[in-house]
This record gives sequence, structure tokens and C-alpha cells, in this order.
Amino acid sequence: MSEAEVFKVRNRLAQHVTEPGGMTAGMANSRAGRELAAQQGRSYEAIGETLETLEWLCDTRDAPMDSVYDLSTQVLDIAGLFDDKQLCRAAYSLCELADKLRTRDEADWASIKLHVNGMRLIWNTEAAGRDNLNAMVEGLWALTDRLRVDDAGGEATPAD
Amino acid sequence: MSLHPDIRMNLARSNVLLIDDNAQALDVLASIFRGFGVLRQVKCGSAAEAQTILRSREIDLIVCDTVMPDMDGYEFVRWLRREGPEEARFSPVIMLTGHAARSTVESSRDCGANFIVSKPFTPEVLLQRIYWVAKDERAMVRSDTYVGPDRRFRNIGPPLGVKGRRKDDLSTHVGAAKDPNMDQDEIDMLLKPQKAAL
Repeated sequence: MSEAEVFKVRNRLAQHVTEPGGMTAGMANSRAGRELAAQQGRSYEAIGETLETLEWLCDTRDAPMDSVYDLSTQVLDIAGLFDDKQLCRAAYSLCELADKLRTRDEADWASIKLHVNGMRLIWNTEAAGRDNLNAMVEGLWALTDRLRVDDAGGEATPAD
Repeated sequence: MSLHPDIRMNLARSNVLLIDDNAQALDVLASIFRGFGVLRQVKCGSAAEAQTILRSREIDLIVCDTVMPDMDGYEFVRWLRREGPEEARFSPVIMLTGHAARSTVESSRDCGANFIVSKPFTPEVLLQRIYWVAKDERAMVRSDTYVGPDRRFRNIGPPLGVKGRRKDDLSTHVGAAKDPNMDQDEIDMLLKPQKAAL
């Protein structure tokens, strides 16, 4: 094995950031918040369409777990940019469930359906009324935690 | 620990490359960067597209999603650090992660990104990481198994203007000395072994 080489590189971003002009962090954050708000409607429509596809997969029950995983990461991908913690936590639980199931080469459509229903409920609920849904999200995680996967060997074992 | 709202940054002349296979997420990310005042941004829907862009354009910051078909974000950064165009090879990279699948845990650790930001996040967190990347003075390391920012821990304190997490954290810049230099006798006294009663 050859020896590691350590060296400095020029950081152009550092040079640009300190150039005169620009704006304060506070101003940048406010502007970004306004831009985000303008994107919110279309983004949640896109999440709704992804949930529709997941609902269809739950009805047909023949899709590979990779598809469930990909669709749940799509929800996480968009909701994560809006700091939607509750929807992200539910989507993360479905990602985790689909990842475990595909490792075991199994499918558990009942648990997947519960996740999709839960995500749809969050999606349909205004932010102000969402506190009541925390217990439901914890319930989704309890479902996912039932499956235990031995990380070292990749072999899955049923939870105790 | 958040970025002080009065810290001034100029991102207008920075060339930012945004990579995400999800078109809607890419649009949202682009709008956040527009809010930050980034005027020059290139959006790519795949790692392959980003590879082409990097061969023809100067890029100052790369923001990349991790889960993408064909070549994922981790593979892309590994390619960039090892085989990317000379000009872009060590460009700062911020990775945005959603779920960490079992198969990607190792590659995320070793890919060579400067920072990894977990979703969900607020624009404040993203801006803070951009600031950290801009102030990142870590050297690059190239070895058989890893190419990227030096990951060896060295406590140089938080960047100037950023509060530390620990109460005794000092900023990188401690300023000029206020007291006169100690003379050699004083230093010798400090180092001289003293008798101790046990």
C-alpha cells in the first residue's frame, strides 16, 4: 500500500463568498423561505402523485420492494426540502421497511399499506392539526422495528 | 448552533452544480439557491449529465442527492475525486441524504464529500453548511482507499462568527495577544519540576 498524500487545494468558493456585495445570512434565509413557499403547492402535488402510485402498488401487490423503496425515497426527497419532519419520518420508516424486506427477499404489503395510508393522512392534514398524528407515526416505526436485520451478514432474522 | 444572521456572504459569482434525479426536488433546491443569491447554477438530472458539465464548465460548489438510478451520489463523488476533470476534482461537495440504505453506509463514509446534510433540513442549515464549506481549510488526502477532505480529527474551533457547541470552544481566530511575552525565566519556572507532598 502506498503512503497517503496530503495537499492543499485552492477553494474558489471561499474567494467568491468574501467578495464585496452579497447579502446577510438573515436576508438570504428569508429570501430562500419565500422561494420555498412559492414551490410548496407544486411540490406537495408531486408528493400526492407519488402516494397515488404507492397506493396502486399496494392494490396490485406484485411490485418488487425496490419500487416501494424508490417511491418512498421520492417522498422523502421532496418533503425533506420543506423540513416536513412528520412526513419525512413516516417516509423514512417506509424506506427502512422496504430496505429490510428486500434484504430478506420478502414482501409485507399489509405493513406497506399502513405506511402509505399514514403518509396520505399526514399529506391531507394541515400543519396546525398534525400533533395528533405523532402517535400514528411512532406506530409505523414500531411496525418497521419488528423486522431485525443482521447488518454484519446481511441475513435477516425475525424480531423478538 | 446557527449562522449569525448578520454574517455577509456573496454567492452571486459562484458557479453551483445541483444534481438530483427528482425533477421537482431539483426545482425546489434551485429555488433555495436562488434565494441565497446564487445567479449561476446548473441543474442536472443525473450523475452522467453532471459528469459532462464538469468537463466543460468551471464549478465552485457541487450539491448532490445520494439516491439516483445508474450512478448514485456516492459513486459520483468517488468518480469526481479519483477520475474527475483536473479543474473540478477537489471542488467542494455537499451531499443531501434521505434514507441511508444498508448497502450504502460504507460508501457514504468513504466517498470524499465535504459535508453530508440529512433531510429534512431548513434553508438555514443548508446556508450554514455552504458557509462552512467556504471556510473549510482542511487539506485533501489521496490514498489507495480514500480521496477527499482530511477526516483526521483536529480541534481548530468553529469558524469565525460561529458559536461553538462546547462552552470552552474558541474560534479559529483568537486575535492578537494582550499580555506581554513571558521571559525565559518565567517559562523555565512553569516547566521546572516541583516537589510535591504525597
